[in-house]
Amino acid sequence: MPSLLEVAGLDAGYQRSQVLHGLDFDLAEGTVTALLGANGAGKTTTLRAISGMAWRRGTIRFDGRDLTRSRPDQVARLGIAHVPQGRGTLSRLSTAENLMVGALRRRDRSLINGDLQRCYDLFPRLAQRRRAVAGSLSGGEQQMLAIGRAIMSRPRLLLLDEPSLGLAPHLIQEVFRVLAALRAEWGLTMLLVEQSVVAALDLADGALVLETGRVALRGTATELAAMDEIRSAYLGT
Amino acid sequence: MNHPRRRLRLAALAAGIVVLAILPLNSTAYTNYQIALVATYAVAILGLNLVSGYAGQISLGQSAFFGLGGYCAAIATARAGWPLPASFLLACVLPAAVGLLVAIPAVRLRGHGLAIFTLALPLIGVALAKRFNGLTGGTEGRVAQIARAPAWTGLDTDQWTYYVVLAIAGALFLLARNMVTGRLGRALATIRENEVVAVSMGISARRYKGLAFSLAAGYGGAAGWLYVYTIGFVSPVEMEFLLSINLLAMMIVGGMGSVLGSLLGGVLYVYVPIVAGTVDPVRTTLLYGAILLLVLFTAPGGIARALRRTGDRLGDSRAGRGPGPPGPGAAPRAEPAASPLPRT
Amino acid sequence: MEGAAVRAVQQIVDGLATGSIYGALALALVLAHRATGVVNFAQGQMAVVSTFVAWSLTRGGLGVIVAVAGAIAFSLVFGAAVERLVMRRFERETPLIAVVATVGLLLLLNGLSSLIWGYDLKAFPPVFSGGTLRAGGAAVSVTALGTFLVLVAVVLVLYVLMMRTRLGLALRAVADNPDSSALSGLPVGNLLMVGWGLAAGLGAIAGCLVAPKLYLDPNMLAGVLVYALAAAVLGGFDSPLGAVVAAWIIGVSENLAATYIDLIGNDLRISVPLLLTVLVLLLRPQGLFGRREVVRV
Repeated sequence: MPSLLEVAGLDAGYQRSQVLHGLDFDLAEGTVTALLGANGAGKTTTLRAISGMAWRRGTIRFDGRDLTRSRPDQVARLGIAHVPQGRGTLSRLSTAENLMVGALRRRDRSLINGDLQRCYDLFPRLAQRRRAVAGSLSGGEQQMLAIGRAIMSRPRLLLLDEPSLGLAPHLIQEVFRVLAALRAEWGLTMLLVEQSVVAALDLADGALVLETGRVALRGTATELAAMDEIRSAYLGT
Repeated sequence: MNHPRRRLRLAALAAGIVVLAILPLNSTAYTNYQIALVATYAVAILGLNLVSGYAGQISLGQSAFFGLGGYCAAIATARAGWPLPASFLLACVLPAAVGLLVAIPAVRLRGHGLAIFTLALPLIGVALAKRFNGLTGGTEGRVAQIARAPAWTGLDTDQWTYYVVLAIAGALFLLARNMVTGRLGRALATIRENEVVAVSMGISARRYKGLAFSLAAGYGGAAGWLYVYTIGFVSPVEMEFLLSINLLAMMIVGGMGSVLGSLLGGVLYVYVPIVAGTVDPVRTTLLYGAILLLVLFTAPGGIARALRRTGDRLGDSRAGRGPGPPGPGAAPRAEPAASPLPRT
Repeated sequence: MEGAAVRAVQQIVDGLATGSIYGALALALVLAHRATGVVNFAQGQMAVVSTFVAWSLTRGGLGVIVAVAGAIAFSLVFGAAVERLVMRRFERETPLIAVVATVGLLLLLNGLSSLIWGYDLKAFPPVFSGGTLRAGGAAVSVTALGTFLVLVAVVLVLYVLMMRTRLGLALRAVADNPDSSALSGLPVGNLLMVGWGLAAGLGAIAGCLVAPKLYLDPNMLAGVLVYALAAAVLGGFDSPLGAVVAAWIIGVSENLAATYIDLIGNDLRISVPLLLTVLVLLLRPQGLFGRREVVRV
């Protein structure tokens, strides 16, 4: 079965600096892949390269289509939703409006309200605060909002950049509960950059470890969780 | 700055001074007056640079101080018979005082509020000039031929005017340069970059911004005095808003935050319409606008910065530049690529 | 009604009318600013160009209402073009550079208008019929009332557009966070063009409404721009409603001050919005309706 996302020989970076060197990986549809690595290894850059927010050279193919010449909004319209680090909350709009923005480019308008309700079911806290100005939401709520806005576009691929960043442990649990539900109910393909390695490997099917812009390790989540390098580097055992 | 370059600069400066010193003896009155005007406007732009270029505060009111200085010259000397140095001092100090007064609310306003506030100054200035027409000559303005070459020099009025104006302007430029490279300049630069950081470093942003305002106004006034000395006439037109805009425009084109840029601005202000062969204010306006946009598109740092960069590159003997990847492929070119705005 | 009261009422209504002109241009400024973060000093000049277009259309035989509609249509395209061709380049630069770019645009358009249409004063046919309405002894000119009502209608239409339509939501999203909006698939560049197009349309309305009274020439809106800027600043520069309310306040207070305060008289009316704005900003830096900004170090 052809992969949903194929990345081959990817160089990427910002202005004069190059962060990724010949990155290679594939994502199969319906799978969750964790992208791990130390700070500066290129995890965020990988997501940004896919979304068109950094310069890139090489191959990025989504469902057979070449992405290397696409702008961020074009990439989004092809079905890739990117939840950036820092969440990108539209802070002066309301919670409900933020979610609706996610659905603005959809053609199947009759289904939007149903999806909105499903969002509220997934994130009950957002349902309570639906009229509040988004900038007044807490960090955890804004993270939920960012994920909600991403899935309102009914994406085929969800890119998540450190969703647990800055969140208290119980909120991290909730985020991962939601991601697991998304995977179970919607069969959503995900590429997840995470520092919470335990939770990430728990959720993911496969994992990649980046080091200075290259893939250093790859395998199934269980394989990597068992590896000594991973355990000592990240799990402290 | 390495030694050979510095020596080259000083040599160029010395040569320039020599040329300027001999010039008026061999050229027409028209040329001499033109060059004096260049110096005049350069001083006005220099003042504007202090507050806009160095302190980063948008000021649209420089023409008000320019006009005020001009009226000081006309009223104090031509009407009330003050000696020239006294009226010059007045032309510097009075606008500076007004500038300080104006600065008190001004420095508390940010960006937009400040622009509005400074914008209103020329408008109010023109209205006041017209209202007090007994003093100012109203809409018709006031003739004030205050320049007179002393007999012992054997010079014509235009030549004498040239020397006086250039000497004063030169002194003002030197003064500005010293201020800018010293404590004031550094403080202003810090404030411009990040005011919060500056305050945490103990730099009173308000005090320095107020100082910059006051200085700018003083320089504007001095320029206005030089203008009347050169042209011999003042009217409300000299205070008009359009002059403020044109000065701002030429400051940017010449080079914001640069002493040399101020001089270039003055040159451009006077010579653009002449080179274009037009006295028509319509075409002049069009030209200023077109040139400004052109420069902004191609060299936003202004001509002075572009010249400096070319100079750097010519003197740069290093073979290559840093690692950096070759052409960015499909991504937008040369952007702050953290998250580039999509170009449609 | 007593003579003095009648006069006061008329001054107030006139003030609301002139305030409506300021408000239309102020709305244009706010809209352009929300879209791209730039204070467009050329907004008045762009409006004048559109008004000249309307004038040319009336000379070509079209009725004034049709000509104004044509001018508005022109301005929508014109505003979009200006954003795409000129402002796009400077939106990411420092505010000073972007503002100076608009100043350059101002000069350029001023010169071009003079070149194309000349700088003599031109008569512009009135949009409203002359005459007055009488109510309770006070006389209100139809033009003043009409101008005021046009602005009210504009505000309502704008409100519905921005708050109740998908396009409005998209425009607001892009104004709030363009990069994040792009990640949701919004075509940011196109939406910026729409924002500036709408702003130019508002400017055209302001220009056409005031041209019959002020006579049309390239500098017609220079004074109005100052008032509009003051209104936008006073309103907080982020709030369209704030700009309009501030504009009405400025219009009325300027009129009353010019009439009843001798020191100010007619020639120093411009000091009224200045003083008002400065006073309010000193007490409340974010303007009447603005939001306080937090600066992170």
